[in-house]
Amino acid sequence: MTDDFMQDPALIQEFLIESEELLQGMDQDMVALESGPTDADRLNRVFRAVHTIKGTSSFLGFEPVVQLSHRAEDVLNLLRKSELALTPRIMDALLSTRDQLGVMLADIRGGRNANYDLAGLLAELEVVQQSEVLAEAIPAPEPQKAITDPAPATIPPPSAEPTSTEAAVRSAAEASTQTLRVDARKLDELINLIGELVLERNRLMQLSRSFSSKKLDHQKMAEDLSLSATRLSFITEELQTAGLKTRMVPIETVFRKFPRMVRDVAQTLGKEVDLEVKGQDTELDKSMVEMIGDPLLHLVRNSLDHGIELPQVREAAGKSRRGRISLNATQQGDQIVITISDDGVGIDPERIGAKAVEKGLVAPELLRALSRREILNFVFLPGFSTAQVVTDISGRGVGMDVVRTNISRLNGTVEIDSVLGEGATLRLSVPLTVAILPVLLVEVRNESYALPLRSVQETRQVTASEIHKIESMEVLRLSHGTLPLLRLTHLLGLQGCDEPGSGERAVILQVGEKRLALLVDRLLGQESTVVKPLGAYLLHCPGLAGATVSGDGRVRLVLDPAGLLKTLAASATARTFAAAGGA
Amino acid sequence: MQSAIIKPSPDQASPQGELLQLVSFHLEGEEYGLDILRVQEIIRVQQLTRVPNSPDFVEGVINLRGTVIPVVSLRKRFGLSQGPGDERSRIVVVEVNGNVLGFLVDSVSEVLRIPAETVEAPLRLTKVEREYVSGVGKLDDRLLILLDLNCLMTGTEEAKTMHAGASPAL
Repeated sequence: MTDDFMQDPALIQEFLIESEELLQGMDQDMVALESGPTDADRLNRVFRAVHTIKGTSSFLGFEPVVQLSHRAEDVLNLLRKSELALTPRIMDALLSTRDQLGVMLADIRGGRNANYDLAGLLAELEVVQQSEVLAEAIPAPEPQKAITDPAPATIPPPSAEPTSTEAAVRSAAEASTQTLRVDARKLDELINLIGELVLERNRLMQLSRSFSSKKLDHQKMAEDLSLSATRLSFITEELQTAGLKTRMVPIETVFRKFPRMVRDVAQTLGKEVDLEVKGQDTELDKSMVEMIGDPLLHLVRNSLDHGIELPQVREAAGKSRRGRISLNATQQGDQIVITISDDGVGIDPERIGAKAVEKGLVAPELLRALSRREILNFVFLPGFSTAQVVTDISGRGVGMDVVRTNISRLNGTVEIDSVLGEGATLRLSVPLTVAILPVLLVEVRNESYALPLRSVQETRQVTASEIHKIESMEVLRLSHGTLPLLRLTHLLGLQGCDEPGSGERAVILQVGEKRLALLVDRLLGQESTVVKPLGAYLLHCPGLAGATVSGDGRVRLVLDPAGLLKTLAASATARTFAAAGGA
Repeated sequence: MQSAIIKPSPDQASPQGELLQLVSFHLEGEEYGLDILRVQEIIRVQQLTRVPNSPDFVEGVINLRGTVIPVVSLRKRFGLSQGPGDERSRIVVVEVNGNVLGFLVDSVSEVLRIPAETVEAPLRLTKVEREYVSGVGKLDDRLLILLDLNCLMTGTEEAKTMHAGASPAL
């Protein structure tokens, strides 16, 4: 890593992408090899992966990577030729090697020129290689720790490493933001559609020429034009879909990090867990894949930590020793649903309910009216889940509110269901892409604005008699409660008459746990739009999430309900302040 | 006076006899110049969408072929009176610090080349605050106020922008 470090960045980039993919594949194969240590296909694959990394890194001059992969390759070579049997110790050494390689690659990507202390790891690799060659006679399904060779105990026990794996998962997600591999078929489709677009353009130009030269009468022109418009709209829609598809990647890129993580965490916790993964081929937007990694990681960890019981506990409860966690992804309409279920201890709704009452999150009389699932979902409330509290109960909940916040930032939802003693299921549902947002269009003072539909609970006609004033704050009194009332005109600082009743419609918005009614002049309908940023100069405008372009080419602003609520809170504080100062 | 040539020519880099290529526009009778390399395009005024709670000199936002860009009224930015806004008004689309935005001006006249050595330090000739002015260029008997775009858009709004974070909350 000296002068060669500054080589062609494109080559290095290519090397990093390839190597990171190989390492991820290695994770999967290695974990599988633990249960089937003689699987020749997998051994070969791991060997080839390390071999490729060695080859390219030596070409690029990343010396420490070469050194380490070279030694690992030696071990793997013996393994695949069955001259060596895969013991837990070798497995640990190889996994440590893989982690170290990951660290090095991350450093290369970050342009950091770190010094590595590889002596311990290299020595361990050599030791396992040597000693195991001598122990060749030992049959394949080997007893644990068959080799008693006093190794230069420098290898950190893998059980101490789950956090580093998590860090690796995160850094891999961060690292992959720059480039994207696109299936050539998707690009072909895109190019094909662009070709169609060009053809249609030609037709339109032809049409325009014929019209100018008076070759076409009005009637014919109108017909042709309408036909052309229809085709154009069809092509653009297809083009939009095809364009979005190029951004879609299989969720496998997230999922394949889990087997290793589950293995490591389970080992640390002394639990035996099988991970079952389904629906890896389900595709979703690249940015979504990147952002969903962390919440998923958190949830799987929670299942491992608090859901799955220790082997002896499981046996005592009449369950199999090995716990099972399954990850499943499916597409449902324009949503991707990911479920994480475990067959662990489950969650006791009564205790959750009791805790919620104790914490003042719900009134005791209200609790009785709630369903089991509604009660269980209290774990997502901020303030509910402190580690001790929930761990005492049964489990779940370290930072569940954070998970929910992150998921709702992606316009998604998360729910929990559980049967006590039988396990729990978490259901994440996120849109296929972050780019398209269903909105409700409203009109105020002849300007239209868009509200994200996910925040809209209901819309209703409002009469002046339903609007009341409490301490200079307007509220909307409905049969089932009172909501703070906001006039969009005020929030946006728009001028104009605003005597009560001039706004006719209220949109009831839900932001987190808060609900409020927003008074608008008119409702215009629903639409799916592509949200565009407002640009750096307008980022600090409160209450605005972005903009969309409407059918007539004008820009329409997209409101941010959470931001609106904040401006409301700020103005309320200011008012209280002013009142206090005046008194 | 040089004739209008839109493409920037490569010869301007030489220090001796360097030519500045400027897009000139008018604001309340004064003539201003913007470095042509900063100007992406000049478009007619289209219907603007007002942005509530934005700085008062932000006239609104427009859709520029699918990108939403803010439009700044240079009259308001410079504290001049409200302009006539007739059909000679134009939006000069520029890039400042990596952000694209439009400047609403009274009219755009031409592309000029002036020798760099005729540019003098800002005088107290104009109503525009001196901090936005990088110099005054002379061409025959005309005076051109050269604007410093970076100063124009830094200070007030960029500082706030930094705090606001990188991406809008959806």
